Amino acid sequence: MEAGTMSAEELPKTEANVLKGHEGAVLTARFNGEGNYCLSGGKDRTIRLWNPHRGIHIKTYKSHGREVRDVHVTSDNSKICSCGGDRQVFYWDVSTGRVIRKFRGHDSEVNAVKFNEYSSVVVSAGYDRSLRAWDCRSHSTEPIQIIDTFLDSVMSVCLTKTEIIAGSVDGTVRTFDIRMGRELSDDLGQPVNCISLSNDGNCVLASCLDSTLRLLDRTTGELLQEYKGHTCKSFKMDCCLTNNDAHVVGGSEDGHLFFWDLVDACVVSSFRAHSSVVTSVSYHPKDNCMITASVDGSVRVWKA
Amino acid sequence: MEIDEDDFVFFGTPIEREEDTISRKKKSIAEASGQLRTLAPWKQEVRDEEGRRRFHGAFSGGFSAGYFNTVGSKEGWTPQTFTSSRKKRAEIKQQDLSNFLDDDEKAELEGNSLGTSMQFDTFGFTAAEIARKQSEKEQNERPSAIPGPAPDELVVPATDPIGVRLMQKMGWRRGRSVKSSKSTHYDARREARKAFLAFAGPEDAEVEDAMETAAELPTDDIIQFQKSTPVYVLNPKQDMHGLGYDPFKGAPEFRDNKRSHLPGNRESGHKRSLPKKDGLFSFKPRNVAPGFGIGALEELDAEDEDVYASGYDFEAFVEEAEEPSRLAIEDKKKSSSKEHGVLPGFKAASNTDYQLERFHPPVVPKDFVPHHKFPATLEVNQKLTEVPPSEVPPPVDNNLKVLIEGVATLVARCGPLFEELSREKNQSNPLFGFLSGGDGNDYYKRKLWEARQKHGDKTKPLLNEKIAPNAQKMTPNAQKMTAETRGNILGEKPLNRTAKDLKPVVPATDNVNLQFHLSDTFTEPASFVEPTEIAKPFQHDPAKQERFEQYLKEKYRGGLRTIDAGGSSKMSEAARARERLEFEAAAEAITQGKWGKESQLSSQQILGASAGLGLQFTSGGSEINGVSQTEEVIKKSMFPKREEFQWRPAPILCKRFDLIDPYMGKPPPPPRSRSKLDSLIFMPDYVKAATEEKNTLSNNVSLPQVDEKRRTNVMDAEDVEVENVERPVDLYKAIFSDDSDDEEENINTNQQEDPTKKIEAANTTLSRLMAGDFLESLGKELGLEVPPDQPYKPPQATQKPPTVQDNPQNHEPINSAAPKNISVQSTKEFDHEIMKKETKVRRDKSSSDDEKSRRRSKRDYDSTSDSSDGYQDRHSSSRHKGRKKEHRKHSKHRHHESSSRSRHSADKEYIDSKREKRKRRD
Repeated sequence: MEAGTMSAEELPKTEANVLKGHEGAVLTARFNGEGNYCLSGGKDRTIRLWNPHRGIHIKTYKSHGREVRDVHVTSDNSKICSCGGDRQVFYWDVSTGRVIRKFRGHDSEVNAVKFNEYSSVVVSAGYDRSLRAWDCRSHSTEPIQIIDTFLDSVMSVCLTKTEIIAGSVDGTVRTFDIRMGRELSDDLGQPVNCISLSNDGNCVLASCLDSTLRLLDRTTGELLQEYKGHTCKSFKMDCCLTNNDAHVVGGSEDGHLFFWDLVDACVVSSFRAHSSVVTSVSYHPKDNCMITASVDGSVRVWKA
Repeated sequence: MEIDEDDFVFFGTPIEREEDTISRKKKSIAEASGQLRTLAPWKQEVRDEEGRRRFHGAFSGGFSAGYFNTVGSKEGWTPQTFTSSRKKRAEIKQQDLSNFLDDDEKAELEGNSLGTSMQFDTFGFTAAEIARKQSEKEQNERPSAIPGPAPDELVVPATDPIGVRLMQKMGWRRGRSVKSSKSTHYDARREARKAFLAFAGPEDAEVEDAMETAAELPTDDIIQFQKSTPVYVLNPKQDMHGLGYDPFKGAPEFRDNKRSHLPGNRESGHKRSLPKKDGLFSFKPRNVAPGFGIGALEELDAEDEDVYASGYDFEAFVEEAEEPSRLAIEDKKKSSSKEHGVLPGFKAASNTDYQLERFHPPVVPKDFVPHHKFPATLEVNQKLTEVPPSEVPPPVDNNLKVLIEGVATLVARCGPLFEELSREKNQSNPLFGFLSGGDGNDYYKRKLWEARQKHGDKTKPLLNEKIAPNAQKMTPNAQKMTAETRGNILGEKPLNRTAKDLKPVVPATDNVNLQFHLSDTFTEPASFVEPTEIAKPFQHDPAKQERFEQYLKEKYRGGLRTIDAGGSSKMSEAARARERLEFEAAAEAITQGKWGKESQLSSQQILGASAGLGLQFTSGGSEINGVSQTEEVIKKSMFPKREEFQWRPAPILCKRFDLIDPYMGKPPPPPRSRSKLDSLIFMPDYVKAATEEKNTLSNNVSLPQVDEKRRTNVMDAEDVEVENVERPVDLYKAIFSDDSDDEEENINTNQQEDPTKKIEAANTTLSRLMAGDFLESLGKELGLEVPPDQPYKPPQATQKPPTVQDNPQNHEPINSAAPKNISVQSTKEFDHEIMKKETKVRRDKSSSDDEKSRRRSKRDYDSTSDSSDGYQDRHSSSRHKGRKKEHRKHSKHRHHESSSRSRHSADKEYIDSKREKRKRRD
């Protein structure tokens, strides 16, 4: 607030819609590729498809036996992958709402899931200290790759065209470069809760459990900036960058939403967005719009 | 086409369309399989592989004659070798009706033909018959050396007769009696009834008794009944007669004779009973039914003769059926007497002389303590009470002195008897006058006492430990108060390390003697003064000193988990870590000082060194406050830490990501080298640190280059290396590798006059101690029993005199602890050996490693060298990190924590251990 820059005024701070429907905590909320729809998943074992701009609930996907922890949709909006407490990765058809495939193999809860660029591979990160890549093209339900160099639960995964990046509670952000065939391990010294790529792909933002967001340069592994002020000590909470990479967005355990200036690392804005822990934040790919999910059971849409 | 069909004439067969043939093929296959399953053979149709029914023309049988109207089989005509009928003339095929009949005709015939059914094959004769026939057939078909049919005895029916099977179904087993308990019961009842009639009335009670006993009979005798069926015992052929020839055919009595004379006669009791009986009574006529015997007390009657006797003398040995029920018939009282297990014909005595005498256990006195105290042996008592003879100057005559000393040793070794003997022998010899109280007697006594003590020390280390304090007190050299006694007086806790250092080298009492020996050469041993001072490097801060002592104690307690001193809990993490570093370094310094002592550095040097070290580490105390402020800076400099590994993506993953597999065509990578020992050895960090420091001191030449580089690097850093380089190889090298030890010794002992021997001695102790510590900690980690910490012993090993060193046996570590320790020691030594080997192997391996691992180790090296200047920071923060592990479990969602908490803790342990491993690997 104090640093009232131009972009700070454009930050989505006003509540546009409240998406209610989930019973119990909402653990994840994600925009689709274009940002016209969003998906949310929660403790009620359902995935819900919304139109956040109009505040309409479109569809509910029910098949999970336990809570849904992460969800991702393909760029062509035809398929969804989701994961959660039932140790499986679900591969859904969006229009029919049926599960096309269930990928079994994780020994424990699956924390995060992502499609690759071509939507041909799903990479999942599990509490069983492993990353697993699943092939959507073949009918096999076996993982095509298991990465188990992590020493603790893998909390978050991001994919680029050539890399798999994952953050783990062992304090590392590991980049698996498929093209180079190497693993880069950046030890942050603090359990990593969530990682998020900058839109230019040069930086990775890692949310650590010492209530600090850390921005790393991906090429050098250098720590660029630390963002503090929120509380993040025991929950899996998302963080992200705004679509113009000017600000860092993160939730707090007290229900607040924080905006930091990327460069100055000062809190540009913070307000109480939810009554309880903000579990997930997702920024619109183009507009100044974001959605937040919370343990209080609501998904809120914020606009400038 | 169809319309034009009439107008055109077609030549040849039209080429069929592929789909048609394929579909027909499929259909035909399906049909064929269906037919095979359902239809009778004569209704099945032969079709070709295309599914077309073949017609062979009306004259050759229409459809399906032969194999598509050809000879041979589906495979076609198979060529065969020509066989001349001239040579194979004898082969005449026996043909019978069945050869000319079809299956259906045979089936029709079946009702009319006679055959034996196995269904009612009660005694198995049919099965035997079939088997015999079968064997005959085989015999005919197969040419055999012995012509003619096989003897019947060799042919055994393949199946159990139906009777046997039925019986078995009903619960009967081979060797058991056929007679059921019911029938015997019935018999007994009948007998009882008879008895009842015989007694005729008046004694009702007795009758009832008889009835009762009769009713009880079957249960009592059931075991005897069970064994009474004849059992076929296959008799191995032991004689040289032809098969089936019985030399005793007409004279069976000779057979018994023969049997009893057979050398390998291994007949059991029941078998032997048969011939005896035969001998006792008349010979059994040959036509007694085989397999069914008669009672021992029965006469052979006409009714026992087998009318259907086949005339065979059964070779198979038949156990005589004993039928006690018949005995019961004969002797009415028998049933009752049997109950008591009394022999037939005998009855139990009404009163017996025999009485079981019982002795009560001795009464334990009330004041008895079940604890055996071993009384000290007489010798020991003697020693304790014996006032040592006063020191006497040796006689002037050198020869006499030598003689006296020699005799004294001999006497000490062989006992007083030897003294007597030599005294008698040399009565006339004036030289031996000292034995009988002459010249030099005093000196002899003194020498004898010394020799005895020495001898006793060697033989009874256990006892000597007890004596040791006493002996020390008794020694006239009271001015040589040891550091231990002084420590006791001052109420100081002994330093375990020093105690350990010195114990195996020379036992305490030996030291006394040595001191005595060397009192003239060594006047003021520095070690007596030094340990108390060095043990207090933090004198200015009593609390800290306390913690240091606690640390020292813990250091040798072993295990990964250390007990935090109560006082230090107030300190911050960083401060604690820093202090820990200090302690480690200080402990190192102390041990270093000790080692220096042992190798007899001049005391001044040591004091100087220790003072220097002490200064170095006490100065750290003032920095403590600054640490917490700099902590964050340290962390920032520490993290993020980037490491690079090789990672091999799966080819399919590359394909799906539309990338070229970087490892295309390359062999699969070797698994990351994780040594088994990594997971096996859990060592406290400080032990490793200690060993590492050892390494730093030794400038190694023969070690692999990488290690050396690192070492020199560390040396350049001019600091005590405390960073944990968790490579067991180094540890082992430090412990066991001879060259490194040599080097180290060379550094420490370069001022020595006689270095080699001392190096040897020091080496053995060094390696033993290191291994001992390590193993002890390991043992504790594993929860094994480890000998308790030994009491502090003064560091008198420094005074090892050259005279003793000349004698290599004296170096043999006489463990002054309890004897059970010796076994531990030996196992430890054994362990050394193994580990030595291991180290060698590993070293070889490391030298011949492939490029990949070299790269890895290089990386290790890099990371180490990078942080060598800021290693302390790194260390502290890594420690810090270790503490932070507790927080990590919060990373899980709180909502499901409750459900998975138990597993979580287990996981965490696993993670920790894994992390540990990982650290070590790096």
